[in-house]
Amino acid sequence: MKNTRRQKKKNAPIAQQKFREAIYDFHVRAFGEEMARVNHLPLAARRRYIGEMVDHAIRKGVKSDKPALGVTP
Amino acid sequence: MPFSYAELERFYEKLVTRARSCGIACAITSGMACVALGVSEATKDCDLLCTPASAGDLLDLLGETTLDGRLPSYRGNLTAPLDARWFHGGWTSHFLWPPAGSGAYLDVFGVAPRSSSRWETEIQGFYANPHTVAEMKRTHRDKDWPFVTALGARMIEMGDERGWLHLYDEKLLRAFAETKRSAALIKRRPVLKLAANKDPKLRPALRAEIGYWHELDRVRMNIYENAVRRYMVEVRKSHLPPGAGLSAQHELRVRHAEKYLPENPMRDYGVTRMISEAREALSEIINPTAMAWLPDVREHFTLVAA
Repeated sequence: MKNTRRQKKKNAPIAQQKFREAIYDFHVRAFGEEMARVNHLPLAARRRYIGEMVDHAIRKGVKSDKPALGVTP
Repeated sequence: MPFSYAELERFYEKLVTRARSCGIACAITSGMACVALGVSEATKDCDLLCTPASAGDLLDLLGETTLDGRLPSYRGNLTAPLDARWFHGGWTSHFLWPPAGSGAYLDVFGVAPRSSSRWETEIQGFYANPHTVAEMKRTHRDKDWPFVTALGARMIEMGDERGWLHLYDEKLLRAFAETKRSAALIKRRPVLKLAANKDPKLRPALRAEIGYWHELDRVRMNIYENAVRRYMVEVRKSHLPPGAGLSAQHELRVRHAEKYLPENPMRDYGVTRMISEAREALSEIINPTAMAWLPDVREHFTLVAA
């Protein structure tokens, strides 16, 4: 049976959903469950989370200085 | 009391706003751009792209920009002057608003490393576009690679086909083997053909591709590190009076750079030579058949060597 334009249109959201799920799985594999969740938060919430994480790390004495090399990787 | 992440973020965004109002083309890139683009990276440092033609104006602006009443200074003896001559050649200028360790760190680039297109033609708000950020993340550091794939996936979601150039995750590429990609894209990145054909060679080819970028970055860094040595020694030997302002620091660096810092080490060394050295190093560590699937990377170095 021919795949009509209407059928293709109907399938598009399913493909998009499948793609989104695969991307989420990738984020879980690459960054862990918590950061995968954070990466999919709205921008303001994501920034707030990262801000709290960085500020907490600095309060606990974590150093994040990068050497000034004149050229950056 | 160190500045909070939110305070620094506001400071950098305000800096970009002021710079643009003065006609300076600039955009935040790297870690802070990643957060905005949907991939969280924990950094308080800001990497800023600025067109080489605007370098002088940006320096003037930095020289009058205070953070908590303090002015910035150049950071480190290896830092090139913020000047169009060295900016064109791929050098980075590093600045610090004190106090060290808890102040604001700003790294400024003229040319985005490995960028195949001009970043200033596509800007997203305060930030560089994900294509540029993803190309910049193809470094020799393993930690950067998941960010490349995540940015590529984000681009595909947003309908930008170039996202396929940045997917380095085998599982993700296999999951979408049947997705149609243009011939132009496959020409730029031959491993996409292996993905489309569900070829078992995809895994070694992807490893080779990542290894290739690692080697390219390693050779590139060596070129610049060798070129900066004499300049670094002279900067280290120089002493400015305490409290010397940014313009005095800049003049000193320019004076030494004119004598000892090559403007464009990449061009002097030769892109072709750099690429062949990277390929040679790679051929010693990977399956030789995977070499056939490496991309042509010359377009990633034409802007800096121009």
